[in-house]
Formats: sequence, C-alpha cells, structure tokens
Amino acid sequence: MAWALLWASDGVLNLGNLALLLVLASAMAGMWLSASISVALSALSVLMFNWLFVPPRFTFQVYLHQDLLLLVTMLGVSAMVSYLMARLRALADLEGQHAQAVEELRALGEQLRESIDVPSQARLLQAALQARVDSTVSVLLLKEPSAPMSDADGHVLMGAPNAQDAQGLWSCVKQCAAMGPGTGRFENQNTLFLPVRGRACALGAVALHEAPLGQLTPFNRETLQQMCDVLGLEVERSHTLHLAQLAKDEAQSQILRNTLLTSISHDYRTPLANLMGAASAIHDQGPRLSAQQITNLAHSVLLEAQHLNRMTTNTLQLARLDAAPWQVHKDWESLQEVLGAVLAKTRVRYPHRKIDVTLPTGLPLIMCDAMLLVQLLDNLVENAIKYSPDVASIHLHVAQQGHAIELRVIDQGLGIPDPWKDKVFQAFERMHPEAAQPDASDETQLRRGVGVGLAVCKAIAKVHGAAIWIEDTLPHGATVCVALPVDVQPEMHITPMEA
Amino acid sequence: MVLRVLLVEDDRELRRTLRDALTVEGYEVFVSGSAADATAVLRHTMASTSPLDLLILDLGLPDGDGANVLHRVRTQFELPILIISARHDDDNKVHLLDAGADDYLVKPFSISELLARMRVTLRHRGTAVQAPRTHYQLEALTVDLGKHEVRRRDELVHLTPTEFKLLARLVRQAGQVVTHRQLLMDVWGAEYLEHTHYLRLYMGQLRAKLELNPTEPQLLLTEPGVGYRLAEAD
Repeated sequence: MAWALLWASDGVLNLGNLALLLVLASAMAGMWLSASISVALSALSVLMFNWLFVPPRFTFQVYLHQDLLLLVTMLGVSAMVSYLMARLRALADLEGQHAQAVEELRALGEQLRESIDVPSQARLLQAALQARVDSTVSVLLLKEPSAPMSDADGHVLMGAPNAQDAQGLWSCVKQCAAMGPGTGRFENQNTLFLPVRGRACALGAVALHEAPLGQLTPFNRETLQQMCDVLGLEVERSHTLHLAQLAKDEAQSQILRNTLLTSISHDYRTPLANLMGAASAIHDQGPRLSAQQITNLAHSVLLEAQHLNRMTTNTLQLARLDAAPWQVHKDWESLQEVLGAVLAKTRVRYPHRKIDVTLPTGLPLIMCDAMLLVQLLDNLVENAIKYSPDVASIHLHVAQQGHAIELRVIDQGLGIPDPWKDKVFQAFERMHPEAAQPDASDETQLRRGVGVGLAVCKAIAKVHGAAIWIEDTLPHGATVCVALPVDVQPEMHITPMEA
Repeated sequence: MVLRVLLVEDDRELRRTLRDALTVEGYEVFVSGSAADATAVLRHTMASTSPLDLLILDLGLPDGDGANVLHRVRTQFELPILIISARHDDDNKVHLLDAGADDYLVKPFSISELLARMRVTLRHRGTAVQAPRTHYQLEALTVDLGKHEVRRRDELVHLTPTEFKLLARLVRQAGQVVTHRQLLMDVWGAEYLEHTHYLRLYMGQLRAKLELNPTEPQLLLTEPGVGYRLAEAD
C-alpha cells in the first residue's frame, strides 16, 4: 500500500516527503511483526527506496551526499521504531500473562477455601497445574505439618508417581526447595518438583512429570510455585483453625471438670456430713434412743438423701448437656402436662405449701424434651419454695407473648439483688470470696444450696432456644422468667365424628 | 398364699435392704446377684409346683445386661417383671417397657414406691390368660368398657370414639405406665407412631372432661418422656 502511494506521489512530492511515508509504513509493520523481521524489512525497504526513487534511479548509487544522509537516517529511524514497537508488544504480552496468572491463583484460592478436606484440595491443585502445563501431575499433601512418611493416614498422594518420583516428592517436602529442570538442582531430571510451602515449612510437594521444557519458562515456573503456595497457606490456615477449636474444646472440658470438682468438694460435704451423723447415731446409739428420736434421725437421713439425689441429677445433667447438647429428645409436648408433672412431685414433697397456677387453655404445643423441661421447672419451684417463708405462696404464671410462651415462677422471698441476677446462673458463682465469708449475710444465705441448680436451668433453656432471666417480685421476692419459642404447630386431621 | 418374688440386684447392700423390707411385708423373697444365677433360679422355681409371682430386675448386672434376662423371661415364662435401674435415660426405659417389662423404677427410690409398684404389677398378673378388666372406678369416675359407658358423679360423660379408645386402653392397664408408642399403636395404628401430638391433644380433651382440675390431674397422670398412667383403681 505504501509503495502504491509512493508511485502515485512520485514527482508530486520531493524525495524527503516520500522517505517519511516509508518510515510510517515500516513503523506500522513493527506493530504486527516481530522485532527482527520488521528491522530486516526496514533495511530492505530502504534499499528498495534507494533503487527505485533515489537518483540515479534503478541503481544503488547515490549522487548527492544529502540523499545518502537521508537514506542512513531512514534506516536508523525505521530500525528504532521497529525495535520499540516490538518491545512494547512483548511487555503487553507479559502483562497479560501476569493478569491471567493472578486470576488463576485467585480462582484456585477461592476453590480451595470452599473445599472441605485435604484430598479434595489436592485434587483441585492437581487440576489447576495440569491446566497450565501439558504434563501429568502428582500431588503429595501432608494432613498436618511434619507428618511422617510411614503414617499412611497422615498424608494424601494423588496421581501415580513411580518409586523414584515418590522419593523425590518426600525429599522436596523435607528440603522445602524446588528440584528439576531450571531450578539449579538436579537439572538433568525430566520431572519438576515444587514444594507446597506454608509459612515455616513445606506441607507437601508436587511433581510435574516430563513437562515440555518450552513451557517451563521462569515466569511459568514462578506461577506454578505460587499456585502450590496458595494451597500450602490454605492447608496451614485450616490446620491452625482446627488446633484453635481443639484448644477451645479442651478449655471447655477443663471448666466443666472444675465445676464438677467444686460441686463435689463443696455441695456434697454438707449433706453427707448430715447423713453420716444421723445414720451413725442410729447405728451406734440405737438401743439408747427413743422411738421418736430414731424417727427424727431417719427423717433427716431421708431428706439429705433426697437433697443429694437432686444435686447429683442436676450435676450429671449439666455435664451431659455440656458434653453433648445435641442428644436431646424433643417431641411435641403440652405445657399443661409438663406443669402437671412438676406440681405432682412438688405436692408430694411440700404438701403444706400454697402454690397458685395461672394457665390459659388452648396454648400451642411446645417442641421440647419433656424430662428436661420438668427438671427446669422443678428446680425453679424448689428454689422458690426454699428461699421464701413457709407461709408465703408460690405463683406459677403462664402466658403466650407473640411467638413465645412465657413461664414465670414467682416467689415472695428476699429477692435477688441486681448484681446477682445474671451471676446466679453460673455454676458456683457464689464461691465468690466476699460471699463465702463465714459470717453469712442474707445474700450468702440465699445463695446456699443453689449450686448447679440454676446453671442447669440455663443449660436446659439454651438447648431449647429459650431465654431465662430474673425480675423482681413486688413488693419483695424473685420472679424467674422463661420464654419458650413456639414452633409452627403440627398438622392434625380430625374426623367430623371427633369434633 | 404367700407371694414369691425373685430379686435380681448386684449391689449387696441394696439387695439386703430390699430383701428385709419385702420380707417384713410378707413376701417370700429369693435373691440373686447375677444374670447367670437368676437364670438358674428361674429355671428351677418356674418348673416347681409353686412358681414365682414377680421378678424384680436390676439392669446393670456384672455378667450381662439385665435387658437380656428380660427378653429371655418374656419368651419363656408368664411372669410379671418390674425393672429397677440407675440409668436415667428415658429412651432405655421406654425401650424396656415396649419390650415387655410391666413397670420400672429409677434408683434411688423409696420402699413405699417399690411396694406400690409391686402391688399394681401383681394385680395385673395373668391378664393375658384371664379375661381383661372391663370395669374401672376411682373416686367419682366409673368406666364400664362392656357397656361403653363413662360416668362422673353418676352423670354420663360423652366421649368421642377416639377419646373412648384411649381411655379404654389405659383402663386395661390401670396403675401401670403405658408408653406413647403403645398408645399410638393401639389407638391410632402403626402409621401414627411418630404423631405424639395427637396423643397430647386427646389426653388434654380427656382431662378436660374427666378431671376436676386438668392442670393437676388425679386420674390421667403424665410420665414425662415415657407415657401415661391411669391412677390405680379403688
């Protein structure tokens, strides 16, 4: 095209202008062709220009020095333009490769985060590497840092490396350095080994078997290594999370163990001492005691045994709910029945206490574990009775509040001071130094014997998604409130005869 | 006639306490501390002219689970069984009741509780061979299953067919606990075994019709997580 233009304008334009057109043409060639080709083309076109246009025409001779200078300048400018264009193109190419590599790394990282176990992570890396290089890929991945080779459960091996390559994978892990062509170590091998690096050590290695050397440019090798490192960091991260969870569980069970120990050392000694005293009195002094005295002693043995039984049940329940809160057998239950069971037990134990009940009819069924709910209410009622005067009545109040059923156990005792309203739900919170003074204030008296009772109530409420809190009764006393969530009611088909 | 009881319990102290307490009440008590020994005693006494009347069985035995003894006894003899167990999980309790135990007590229990359960269990002894009971009366309530009639203070109470079936099922085992599963199976049928909410609804209706105060029932008692028990008749 440029030549056509040159022919057309020959004679119209002078030589210098024609030369500029040629320079433009060779610059355009530089945009599409490689550097060396375009430089050669430029040289050729300068020669042709000399041959065709520079007087004397159709010879390589040059009459004027001016024309010679023009030719040389043309050659220089054409070569320079071609070279610059080619370099620009190379840079743009590299930029594109980088962007693609970054995109691939990002996608891999995302997939790895979503995958749940080590084998599927290894499979993802294998696929990603094979997409980048035409070669079969083996992946060795340790399930935790420094798992030994002998432990078959401690690592995952993907692909089918031969014995020598497997050996290579392990030594690559140990040395945490790449091996094979282009790495400066074991250059003569035709398998490239890359470590899967974590922050401190290798967590695995990959082997690229017989990868075409042309594809193993420094840039490509670097990208492959980065892909491996993405996996390494991900494995390390999930391992750290796992360790943190273990530590948390351990701490939790430590707290529970301490709770149980405290329970046994403090709460069990008093009733046991009373039991021992009464039983040994009957045993040792039996013949000298009156029938009335023996009956009294036996009665206190019975009471203490019941007390111990309640504490044991509560402590065990707390331990069970803490260890396996999912082992709760929920079913549709009627609050009337649950409340009825609690009342029946209480009436037997405290035949003379006055207990009022407000229970609306037509309440929805509750999805709960009946045994646990009975235990919760039983503890609340027991506390209410224990911590209020014998003549004062206890009030059980049930009402539906929107999507919850609110249960209130209302006593007229001394009440619970505000700072204690939350703390009483923690097991053994009353072991607080100032509360354990020998000169017991009203408050410490109040706290005696609660032990794990309210802690169990809270644990039971928690597995039912229920809230539990304490309010004041007016003019004095405590009200413990439990708000149970109401689920969508089950379907029932009632035949007309039943209606 | 003296009633003969076999007590299978591995704890020596509890065994002695219970034996003494039962002897004072006039029972003839055989004791056994292991599953193997209990099996031998059972084979020997059940074949004699005066077989046992009741088996009291602890679940945690040193040489095997008491549940195995329960299954063996159920298949071989016509003998009421009362389970005593320290295990507090209801699944197990329900499972044993469904497997044929007559009643259960969770340790620790008082002697009076044990005696009461024994009385009920003995009263039901042999219902499988005798005609099932058709009459029930406690305080103001009278049930006549034959005549399909329920009266409170001599007034006829109208029950729906399902309510009546449910009450009749409980009457047949008055004093004993009947599990949710047994009730759903016998009143509604096998496809309703998971539909406990029907039971809740109809028990509520029955209580509303029969109880003086449905919130504190005196007749239709709840065993949370296990089933229902109709109070023992007069």
